[in-house]
Amino acid sequence: MQEKIMAIVSKRKDRSAKAAVSSAGKVQLRSGTGDSDAEESDLSIQLPSDIEDYASDIENLESEEDEGQGDAAAAAGDDDDEYEEGPSAGEDEDIADGNLRDIDDAMLDFMQEHSARVDNGTGSSAHPSDDEASERDGDLHPSAVESDSSEDEIPSRNTVGDVPFVWYDNEEHIGYDIFGKKLRKKERRNQLDSFLARSDDLKDWRKVYDEYNDEEVQLTSEEIDMIRRIRQGRIPHAEVNPHESYVDWFTWEDKGHPLSSAPEPKRRFIPSKWEAKKVVKLVRALRKGWLKLETPKEKPRFYMLWGDDLRITENTANGLAYVPAPKTKLPGHEESYNPPFEYIPTQEEVNSYQLMYEEDRPKFLPRKFDSLRMVPAYADFIKERFERCLDLYLCPRSRKKRINIDPEILVPKLPKPKDLQPFPTVCFLEYRGHVGAICSISTEPSGQWLVSASYDGTVRLWEVQTGRCCRVWNMNGRVHHVSWNPNPQLSIIAVSVEREIVLLDTNVGDEAAQANVSSLLTVKDSLSVASEKDSLVTWTKHDLYQAIKITHQQSVASVSWHHKGDYFASVSPEGHTRAVLVHQLSKQQTQNPFRKHHGHVVSVLFHPLRPFLFVATKMHVRVYNLAKQQLSKKLMPGFHELSTMAVHPSGDNLIVGSKENKLCWFDMDLSVKPYKTLKNHEQDISAVAFHNSYPLFASCSLDGTAHVFHGMVYSDLLQNPLIVPLKILHGHQKGVLDCKFHPQQPWLFTAGGDAIVRLYCN
Amino acid sequence: MDAKEKQVQVRFSTKLPPELQVANTPFSVPSHLTRYGLSEVINALLGLEKPKPFDFIVEGDLIRTSLEKLLLAKNLSAETILNIEYTPALVPPQLQASHKGEDWFSAVNGSNSRYVFTGSYDGIARGWRANGQCSFSLEGHNEAITSVAVMPTEDESTMELLTASKDRSLRFWQITDQGLPDSLTKRAAASKVLKGHSSSVQCVSASPSGNECCSGSWDSTILLWHLSAKSSIDEEHTIIKRRKLDDYATPNTFEEVEVAPRCTLKGHTQCVSSVEWVEAETVFSASWDHSLRGWNVEAEVNNLTISCSKALHCLSVGGEGSSLLAAAGADPIIRIWDPRMPGTVAPIQQLTSHKSWISVCKWHRRSPYHLLSASHDGSVKVWDIRSKIPLQSLEGHKDKVMCADWWKGDSIVSGGADCQLQIYSNLRVN
Repeated sequence: MQEKIMAIVSKRKDRSAKAAVSSAGKVQLRSGTGDSDAEESDLSIQLPSDIEDYASDIENLESEEDEGQGDAAAAAGDDDDEYEEGPSAGEDEDIADGNLRDIDDAMLDFMQEHSARVDNGTGSSAHPSDDEASERDGDLHPSAVESDSSEDEIPSRNTVGDVPFVWYDNEEHIGYDIFGKKLRKKERRNQLDSFLARSDDLKDWRKVYDEYNDEEVQLTSEEIDMIRRIRQGRIPHAEVNPHESYVDWFTWEDKGHPLSSAPEPKRRFIPSKWEAKKVVKLVRALRKGWLKLETPKEKPRFYMLWGDDLRITENTANGLAYVPAPKTKLPGHEESYNPPFEYIPTQEEVNSYQLMYEEDRPKFLPRKFDSLRMVPAYADFIKERFERCLDLYLCPRSRKKRINIDPEILVPKLPKPKDLQPFPTVCFLEYRGHVGAICSISTEPSGQWLVSASYDGTVRLWEVQTGRCCRVWNMNGRVHHVSWNPNPQLSIIAVSVEREIVLLDTNVGDEAAQANVSSLLTVKDSLSVASEKDSLVTWTKHDLYQAIKITHQQSVASVSWHHKGDYFASVSPEGHTRAVLVHQLSKQQTQNPFRKHHGHVVSVLFHPLRPFLFVATKMHVRVYNLAKQQLSKKLMPGFHELSTMAVHPSGDNLIVGSKENKLCWFDMDLSVKPYKTLKNHEQDISAVAFHNSYPLFASCSLDGTAHVFHGMVYSDLLQNPLIVPLKILHGHQKGVLDCKFHPQQPWLFTAGGDAIVRLYCN
Repeated sequence: MDAKEKQVQVRFSTKLPPELQVANTPFSVPSHLTRYGLSEVINALLGLEKPKPFDFIVEGDLIRTSLEKLLLAKNLSAETILNIEYTPALVPPQLQASHKGEDWFSAVNGSNSRYVFTGSYDGIARGWRANGQCSFSLEGHNEAITSVAVMPTEDESTMELLTASKDRSLRFWQITDQGLPDSLTKRAAASKVLKGHSSSVQCVSASPSGNECCSGSWDSTILLWHLSAKSSIDEEHTIIKRRKLDDYATPNTFEEVEVAPRCTLKGHTQCVSSVEWVEAETVFSASWDHSLRGWNVEAEVNNLTISCSKALHCLSVGGEGSSLLAAAGADPIIRIWDPRMPGTVAPIQQLTSHKSWISVCKWHRRSPYHLLSASHDGSVKVWDIRSKIPLQSLEGHKDKVMCADWWKGDSIVSGGADCQLQIYSNLRVN
């Protein structure tokens, strides 16, 4: 019994602590443990807290103490009014709530039994009765400040933890203390001793045995009180007042510090003029009939019970979304068991029905019966009902919204190519002579001459009009690129041969220009020595021709001239930090404008008008402002393998070709994203070109075709460029490696892998 | 007579001598007759032993279809009498001589009746006889010759020649029969070098007066040069430099006189590809800038501009009244304008038969209807502008024909990129 009570007490404390946590901010239930009382603190620990164990305890208790049941039930009956103010226990505790009270009652019953006995024996009442205690609740001494924390509780003597005590039944010790020494079992008093002690010591009934620590604990009077209160279903702590008077800490009324001390304005006391005006206005509107009061709609006295079937479409503005199923025909006179004579078909008519088609034949033949009882079952009932169901089920009755879009509308309205003349269409001239694939071509600014560079190691000069090869330079190496100086006075071509750029004199200018060119193309010794030291490039005289050779560290892929013809930029893709070098022809100097490149440089172009440099890497095109020496724009074509680019003569538009067969047009005023992307070719785009004066651009590809587009750029900033595909030029047996427009005429030169340069004319 | 067979009343007329004239009475001929049938009719009427082909002209057009279709096309009534003029048809010319040169022929001139002058890409101008023998060569240019012109001279024995070259200069050659070298190896030297162009000279034309010439160049200017043989020193416009020149081949030294241009005609924006000095004061020019211009030489003004849609490579003035402009260029169409019509914009006629760029077109020097053209497709065609179809197509060249000209009225000289110089003769044009 003692163990049970101990368990219950500690359980009760446990629960109240939990309740305190769960009902934070509400009425608090404080644990009754006083930190001063060592025994109590011992009590509060290490008892099984699982609700299941608890329930089993209760069962045992109930079976043992039948006499406690009645009281427990009574207590459970009358405790509602008080207890509902109490802790709002968690759900898990609700389950055993009723049982808990039973236990409490049972325990207190037991205790009082003893106390009564003691009282009887001693004649002195140590404790008030239940009723007295309940009356005294209100003015119970408010307890001193109590700590809820478990830190300042004295730890229990035993350290074995939560193990069954059975394990120590046959041992001489009950466990171990904190130092690891065995705690010896105390000598238990036998029944007689305990009885004697109880009768001797008035306070012995307060003692409970703590099995865990193997000691007897005396409950204080507060604890006893608490147990009693719990039993009565009240708040365990006497100091908690569930009906405290409400203090309105945050009231705002009639406080001594209003925000404004201004006197109440007059307008608060006089009627509103604005409202009066509004009322006048409304009254006038009503009188003059501008405002119509909404009269309640008069309901028709009679209405069709089932609605008007024929006028369904009026129900909604657009008509119904579904088509209602047709109603079955209601029976008429002919279906009567006793139809009038005129409905009954004669024998001739019946015979004539046989001759009709089955669909046209009447489904029902009226017949006359003497009485309703004679009418047989309708033979077609099931069949007709089935057909009706089929009709309802199979016939789609929703109105389908079909969108009729003419595919022509979706195609953007572009002008017809024949209205955009002139553009190159027909190949009239072929320039034959190379024996290897022609990788690059370039035209003289006036359009009289054309140079081509081929993988056979030669550079050839062609007369555009006749197709005659006028000069051949053998470069003794793989030629990558050739570019004619855009300055008409300087008839110089820059040829990139493996690791060198060779500046060749073409000898097509007049004497004065020619003298200038030859002076430009003589290597200045002092400079060449200086350039050897910094070892960026070396400017030396060419071995065979009257030319300058600029030797780079890495192979040079392309050369592009500035429009004034003095500066030119070279690209050596493997050059890393020296991928782009800018050379000056007049001073024979070379500089490296970039410390670092973000990617593999593919192509470089000068802006035709302003000091900008376009640097194309495989992913992006960066536009650098050479005057401010900073990045101005970064164009993102969205390609992975950018291969070529060309800039519009006005400088604000750029086309970029990629090895993903795509071509995109950038309007740099508009965005850094492409204005248009065209997937026109079947293979890698090898070159793109703009025409100098005509609104034309072209792209050529390894699939052997060149595409010509109309690309009109308007001076009006609001108008986007107009791009119209014009013509696909076939003719090359192998891929087209380069294309260039004639500088003056709307003609296109294409250089192919089949060693032929073709000229397409309008 | 077949009921279906329609008859057309025709009356033949001709400007031929009386022995080839037929009676001026109307004949009734079947309407399905074509040029060949009509020619048979005339041959039968004349009773010629050797059949002679004739061409027939109805209202200024050569008959190339049946009479029936012709009447429909011309919207003529079959009831009235149709007046048909007949002329001897142009027989296919025979290849008289062919010479394989060393380089491309770029220019040919047939103004002189004794010699054909050619210029070629090796920078040498040559004189050829009718048998295809080179009788002399003129060396001096460093680059390809682009054009050759012959100065009209009173004296038959002296020939004055002008050559334009890509070396930005023109040369003026005076060749007399006495000074003419006998053998091929001997060379004549230029008497004057015309320097002033800053780019390749593309064309040259001599004035009818015989002492001036004009040249067009890639620098888009036309320069006028004064070339008085006798009194050039006195001319105020010409600056004369004399210098000693060591000729590379011959040890003897020549005196080369440099001549500066008299004036510059500016207006073209691109290469002046062809010039022609027509009358004393009028020069026509064609250019790559898609325009034809007429210039008054005295006033040095541009008084006519006709624009075309294509770059022009060649120009010829001739035809009816020597005033029609035939020009062609970077497309296979020869266009003919009549500048006498006010506000001339559209060509009056377009001749289409070539397949590639036309390198040259030339009016016949006497006939108002005949025209020859040479093209990059390797053919030389003879046209009668009264017909839309070329009269003859000479396919002798294997490569681009770069130059062609009439010679002696009945021959055609052509040179091309296959290094061939071909002379077709016996082309009776009247």
